Amino acid sequence: MENVIELHDVSKSLKAFTIHNMDLQIKQGYVTGFIGANGAGKSTTMKLIMNLLQPDNGEINVFGLDYASHEKEIKNRIGFVYDSNIFYESLNLKDISRIIAPAYTHWDQQQFKAYVNQFDLPLNKPMKKFSKGMQMKASIAMALSHDAELIVMDEPTAGLDPTSRRELLDIFQEVMVDGKRTILFSTHITSDLDRIADFIVLIDEGEILIDKPVYELQEQYAVVKGSNELLDADTEVYFIKIERSPNGFQALTKEAAKVRGVFGKHVVIEEASLEEIMFYMKGARNLYG
Amino acid sequence: MFNLIKKDFFIQKTQIGLLVPIIMIFAIFIENIHPAFIFLIASVFIPLNAYIFDQQSKSNILLNSLPYTRKEIVAARYIGAIVYMILSIALAGVILYVFQFDYTMSDVAIAAGLFCLIAAFAFPLFYFLKAEYIFIAAFIGFIVSTIILPPVFRFLAAHLTTITDFITSLSIATLYLSGAAIAIGLYLISWVVSQLIYQRKVF
Repeated sequence: MENVIELHDVSKSLKAFTIHNMDLQIKQGYVTGFIGANGAGKSTTMKLIMNLLQPDNGEINVFGLDYASHEKEIKNRIGFVYDSNIFYESLNLKDISRIIAPAYTHWDQQQFKAYVNQFDLPLNKPMKKFSKGMQMKASIAMALSHDAELIVMDEPTAGLDPTSRRELLDIFQEVMVDGKRTILFSTHITSDLDRIADFIVLIDEGEILIDKPVYELQEQYAVVKGSNELLDADTEVYFIKIERSPNGFQALTKEAAKVRGVFGKHVVIEEASLEEIMFYMKGARNLYG
Repeated sequence: MFNLIKKDFFIQKTQIGLLVPIIMIFAIFIENIHPAFIFLIASVFIPLNAYIFDQQSKSNILLNSLPYTRKEIVAARYIGAIVYMILSIALAGVILYVFQFDYTMSDVAIAAGLFCLIAAFAFPLFYFLKAEYIFIAAFIGFIVSTIILPPVFRFLAAHLTTITDFITSLSIATLYLSGAAIAIGLYLISWVVSQLIYQRKVF
């Protein structure tokens, strides 16, 4: 399995926080969901990947190339979508596409027109009159119209209503059908990823806590519920974070199989959703960190 | 690079239409204005407007996500400014000619030189400052220069007669050539400085 994006030992200090010695590999041909709370470092990492920020230390390779000598070649093969409008607000989509199109060597005007029709986008209306959903679709139409091998999306679903979110997710699924493309998709709405993600990367305070295929997460992580008497020094080690109440405990484990063996039918074991994993992992860090 | 220069035209298509009536108003209604000043206004219009447009949106993020290097983005700004200056001066020249407003080639030369000087100082400052501070900086710069510069020049003229004698002793040709050399030199230095600033910029 080849890596499209590789971060080796990357550090970056910003005013708000720091990324310490981050290692990250994004696999080719899959959808990787990049999750974390607001301010966890998702956007900073995305900016590092897009070379909008340069690392203080470490190495960033995209398609096996480094930005210092292959910046144009790399960006020519990336489609990008950001969480806010980065296009000239007073221009219409037609003029914006006239600015974007000549920048790429593989711009496909037919493809762009097809997406514009599919998304019902007006060509002659200024961007500032677009709804948030339309802006996102316009962004996606441009990202998908130059034969990009990697699509980097920073919170593409933020601020969208449930219907538009669903529509966008359907589009991403369509885009992935041919299997050549790679999508890196950051979000704090974890339910977006349930349908489309193959890999999950969880980041908190600039540090990567989880980097696993979705099926492994589902296999290993589980939410366990049972009575408080079951907990003692020997059994607590199986859990990442335990929440106790008078009625019993609820905890996250990443050793679902072992817990099943140890507790048997004395506990209820449920599949952990991404949201639960994110919530408990963050809770555990605050406890010990 | 050519695409980036063309972009400056696209983003302000409607504003560029205003340039013609503005020059016409100067040519028809204002009589005591120096023609060099009209050329200067015309040449500053497009590059400055392009810059303001780029600041209003998050276009730095857009441009830097497209397959362009930061070097190219700065180069397009500097080369584009010269291209648009030449086009604007040509346009102003035609309009002034049509309205029989007298001017000479030296007016054009003075305007072009002043344009290079203004751009040489303004562009690095634009890259260095955040958008919201630029107008404040420009305003303060303008006030300070109107208060300080005239007395400075008067002082220099009165006390440093050797300098003024030297300047007046130069032939017109040397004066223009050295002026051009200084303007172009500063413009090139400014380009290098802007590039250094832009390479380090955080978006």
